[in-house]
Amino acid sequence: MGSWLKFLVVSVFLFLLVPFAVPWVSATNGDAVPLEVAEAEEALVSAYDVVLEAEESGANVSGLLDKLTVGGEYLAEAYVWVRLGNSENTNRLAGLCHDVAEDVQSDAVELRDETKGSWMSETVVVMLGSVVGVILVVGLCFVGWRVFRRHYRKTVLGLRPEVV
Amino acid sequence: MNLEDYRTLFMVVTLGLALIAASPAIALVVSFGGGSEQFSEFWLLDSNHAAEDYPFNVSAGEMYSVFVGVGNHMSSPEYYKVYVKFGNSTQLDFNSSKASSLSPLYEFQGFVGDGDFWESPVTFGVQNVSLVDKVLSVDNVTTDALIEDAVLSVDEVIINGMIFPVDAHTNWDAEKGGFYFRLSFELWRYDTVLKSFMFHNRIVGLRLNMTDS
Repeated sequence: MGSWLKFLVVSVFLFLLVPFAVPWVSATNGDAVPLEVAEAEEALVSAYDVVLEAEESGANVSGLLDKLTVGGEYLAEAYVWVRLGNSENTNRLAGLCHDVAEDVQSDAVELRDETKGSWMSETVVVMLGSVVGVILVVGLCFVGWRVFRRHYRKTVLGLRPEVV
Repeated sequence: MNLEDYRTLFMVVTLGLALIAASPAIALVVSFGGGSEQFSEFWLLDSNHAAEDYPFNVSAGEMYSVFVGVGNHMSSPEYYKVYVKFGNSTQLDFNSSKASSLSPLYEFQGFVGDGDFWESPVTFGVQNVSLVDKVLSVDNVTTDALIEDAVLSVDEVIINGMIFPVDAHTNWDAEKGGFYFRLSFELWRYDTVLKSFMFHNRIVGLRLNMTDS
């Protein structure tokens, strides 16, 4: 029992370490990244996250993805200049990427909020419509049943010969 | 049919109609989509946008063109990176399920919507290529080795107009009869859960015969 408990504790500990270990494992390319480039990438990823939220709320984000790709091109080129040791070009391109990312992020926030607002009102209309529809269907069927039952009793049961 | 049977029939019909009336609201809550496979396409095409005439015999100082592209079928917009690496066949294995440990020379980044694709032209070339003969010394008499014992080294690779210093060399491939290098393209994808770029298990590349360099 004791060894099982130890095994469980070690397993849980290793499992908790995974999120911290993976970024190190995945950093296979070993480039020393300047702060400007790291910040530009962070801004780009942050903008991408908001674009994903906007897309999930139903917005058309193709224009924003095109803009993000422009930012990605700047960032990719910044990384290339990092490898070639040209800090001037690196910083210039990282700055351009940062500007694009900030623009996209503000546009994406606006689009997401707009879409969420319209999605909410559409949802309310659809929900209300469905509830009213169900009530109508059930009500009409109930009335129809009553009418049918009366008709059935009058015509079908009324034809039965009376047993004396 | 007696009255009980008719009542059951009415109830079933009522339930069916109620479900139809409620279906718009149900669709908001329950997702009927999915089930389709999620994957990314990754391709390399020749300068004519075909898979026929890839650069193979490469000479120093000449430039060659290909297209690299990514198709997104992951059901959501994706953030991709393509790393371009240059090395010999032991450094770059196109059939590997792991990314090469070589540092990338060049990279591309693209954000691709679901069902959409990204593509970019790539021009490349090599320069400062040299054949290093191994000199044999037997009984104080030096003789030039055969080409099979030589090593071909490449000092610079040009990609999209940028010159990258490299330290790549390869031995004579006796089986295929030439000096072969590889230009590899690796696909990486940003994982929104792990908050990091992960290798996406896709590699395309070119085998380059530099015997004539």
